[in-house]
Amino acid sequence: MTLAARTVHGFHTLLTGLGVTFKQIFKRNVTLQYPHEKPELSKAYRSLIKLKRFDELDSHDCVACMQCVKICPSACITIEGGKVDGIKRKRATLFEVDFALCSVCGLCIDVCPTDTLEYSRLYDEAGYERAWTYDLLAEFREEEPAFRERQRVQEEQEAAEKEAKRLAAEQAKAAKEAQASKPPDAPEGTT
Amino acid sequence: MPTTLIEQFGNPAIAIATGVGGVMTVLSLNALFLIWLERKVSAWIQRRMGPMEVGFHGVFQTIADMLKLLGKQLITPKGIDKPLYHLAPIVVFAPVVAATSLLPFSKSVAISNIDIGLVLIFVFGGFAVVGIFMAGWGSNNKYALLGAMRSVAQNISYEIPLILSALAVVLMVSAVGREVPIDGEIVALNGLNLAHITMAQVHWTWFILVQPVAALIYFISVLAETNRAPFDIPEAESELVAGFHTEYSGMRFALFFFAEFSNMFIGAMVATVLFLGGWEGPILPGPVWFFLKTYALIFIMMWVRWTYPRLRFDQLMTFCWAILIPLSILNLLVTALVIKVVQS
Amino acid sequence: MRQSAGPTLERTDEADTYYLNMGPQHPSMHGVLRLLLKLRGEEIVTCEPVIGYAHRAHEKMAENRNYIMFIPNTSRVDYLSGMIYNIAFCQAIEKLCSIEVPERAEVIRIIACELNRIQSHLLWFGTFLLDLGGITPFLYCFDDREEILDILDRVTGSRLTYAYGRFGGVTMDVDQDFLVRTLAFVKRIRSRFPMYEKLVGENVIFRERCEGVGVITPEVARQYGVSGPTLRASGIGYDVRRAEPYGGYDRFDFEIPTRTAGDCMARFEVRMAEMEQSCRIIEQAVAAMPEGPIGPKKLVQRLKPPEGMFYFAVESARGHFGQYILSDGSNTPLKLKMRTPSFSNLSAMETVLEGTMVADTIAIVGSIDIVMPEIDR
Repeated sequence: MTLAARTVHGFHTLLTGLGVTFKQIFKRNVTLQYPHEKPELSKAYRSLIKLKRFDELDSHDCVACMQCVKICPSACITIEGGKVDGIKRKRATLFEVDFALCSVCGLCIDVCPTDTLEYSRLYDEAGYERAWTYDLLAEFREEEPAFRERQRVQEEQEAAEKEAKRLAAEQAKAAKEAQASKPPDAPEGTT
Repeated sequence: MPTTLIEQFGNPAIAIATGVGGVMTVLSLNALFLIWLERKVSAWIQRRMGPMEVGFHGVFQTIADMLKLLGKQLITPKGIDKPLYHLAPIVVFAPVVAATSLLPFSKSVAISNIDIGLVLIFVFGGFAVVGIFMAGWGSNNKYALLGAMRSVAQNISYEIPLILSALAVVLMVSAVGREVPIDGEIVALNGLNLAHITMAQVHWTWFILVQPVAALIYFISVLAETNRAPFDIPEAESELVAGFHTEYSGMRFALFFFAEFSNMFIGAMVATVLFLGGWEGPILPGPVWFFLKTYALIFIMMWVRWTYPRLRFDQLMTFCWAILIPLSILNLLVTALVIKVVQS
Repeated sequence: MRQSAGPTLERTDEADTYYLNMGPQHPSMHGVLRLLLKLRGEEIVTCEPVIGYAHRAHEKMAENRNYIMFIPNTSRVDYLSGMIYNIAFCQAIEKLCSIEVPERAEVIRIIACELNRIQSHLLWFGTFLLDLGGITPFLYCFDDREEILDILDRVTGSRLTYAYGRFGGVTMDVDQDFLVRTLAFVKRIRSRFPMYEKLVGENVIFRERCEGVGVITPEVARQYGVSGPTLRASGIGYDVRRAEPYGGYDRFDFEIPTRTAGDCMARFEVRMAEMEQSCRIIEQAVAAMPEGPIGPKKLVQRLKPPEGMFYFAVESARGHFGQYILSDGSNTPLKLKMRTPSFSNLSAMETVLEGTMVADTIAIVGSIDIVMPEIDR
């Protein structure tokens, strides 16, 4: 191509480019005015973990098995707990997450044997201090004695039921054995 | 003929004070508006909103930014050439004020009306290069120096097509304006007088219609002269950080910024005078038309900036020397020839 | 290539030349690359890339934790194709320990990886134009890219550094909405390609800046182990997805776009063509999405890999990404070495810079698409 032809062609492409950008002026803008509007969080949104509340317990079900502590690559979870007085079910007495370290990989959630961990919808957590340690048990702390009492009663009931069942089973077994040991021709009710 | 301030006030001291004050006010307000407009135009083109927080649609954003810049520390780097470094922003900004005072805003308003106005405008335009090179040399920074070197080469090169294309207009003015009735008397128009250039167009027709090539060359050269994209290589952000003003902060930087936008403003105003008939237009008063045309041109400059990538330095020079200069010389020759043929 | 910062040299030993430190903090250095340029005016005499400013010891971290605990690290090696790296690590471990992956999980992974590849190319396109001084295309690309991030956010919960893969599958199943939005996106991006072509690909300034600039010949490319779009732009049609198919790529029909020029323009064209091919793969994958599980019910975390050496490679958005694992049979690797494509690509760049101008350097660095954290790891 000669210089003249190239120049003309060049100007043509430049005008085409101007046309492209001019059309965009009349299109709807795509800005989200952030502090005034907030984005819709996706259903898989990952953030700080939290303890799930189970309907049948009306509380969390963290048994302080330490699986999440062991698998956490950032070592941001601190848990204390285990066997507590009065009830059989193990309980966590301390569950803290240092969110500043967390990389929201979700391994703790995947590994949890009681499925009591899930993502919270925590959003917009910018702050002026470095402390992002969250106490996940905070919302459960007040109701914990009540839960333990309920749990104790339930466990006692279960134990009693179990005991009753066991007794009943034993009786039935004994009766069966007695029946088996009795000669088949013996009349009813002689034992 | 526009009445100048000196004619109006009689006393030169008052006239100068009013003129400088007026020009500074216009330039400051204009720069504030243009910076806001630049942000808005870029936002519209990029499907964003631009500044929205300070004032209605962010109109006071630039004022807030200026206040911020006023409050900033003026950092002076080590090892600078002190006189050059400190003078540079002033040398860049001062000619802008002088050049603005030469322009005829309407039939009746002009700060000064000089017979060689067009020449003076180009002289003041050339001054900016000195300031830019002072800034680049004085900063003791390689990026700044590179930017300054590019700027000097670019501005000097592009002044040639700029002046050649304006020269075509000057020829046209002297050709069509031999006998023009003004205020009842017949005058021969002077091609170097900005008011006369406008009046030639009022009398005949806008020069963009008869000199489209010169208009295009002039527009491209103005883009290059004012360091606007796609010719913004002296301050190419992705290459030279901020080019010649890398080491300037606070209000010193603001002066460069003001000068850039004011230069753009002057470039557009001169283009309006040369090619778009200056203050001419129906119904609305002269200054309104003048500024409408100027801002329309500025909008195009912004639109261009937000569309194209940047040229490389050698391509920029090739474009100037291999395309623009031959084309403008050709245009000038053809113009002269046609005028000669028509006249004889 | 220099490994440490070294002294800032003020004077060169050669007359009429001077040093210019470009980076590590510079508006157009991708990440924290530092180029020590020896210049004669604006012409480059020599260029020495200095790396190591973003070293985070990922490989060392791998030696100190279980395989599974390394998953969040993977996507941070190359944050622009985090999904590909994340899935690649899972695939390597699956191959090492012979873990079965359900077919549905494989297809989901391919969709996610290809979306990630388009996303990475779009970002490259935008920043490349930014390097050349065009700001607007960058914003248009980000508009498109945002859509991909939203789609991936729906299933992974993250936007940039994904931890989506698990050994033997993925963490979360995709729903119908995800597939619909993915197909809608493919349609959308296809309608945007002509616009990009008009605004950028045909633009005379862009072509002038790119054509014949930074030519990497096939010989140089081979010598330095260049891979990915940079290699394919030099005329060698090597793509791991085709050369050593992994993760079910052999089931899909796609082309390997190549160009022979080897310049910035060729690299631009290859990447644009590759986005179209990724769209094709996504369409086929969505159509072929089988029902079934997306991975093992229980998290596979206690691995018993065989002792010995193991190598697994995938095609990341930047090229051949290989993982070399030295295993002693325990749940922790003795050594995990990552072969990242940007490193080789950057090394080859060094050879083509001589005699170009400062502005070309920016264009060339931009066109080979390096990600510094991936080089430094």
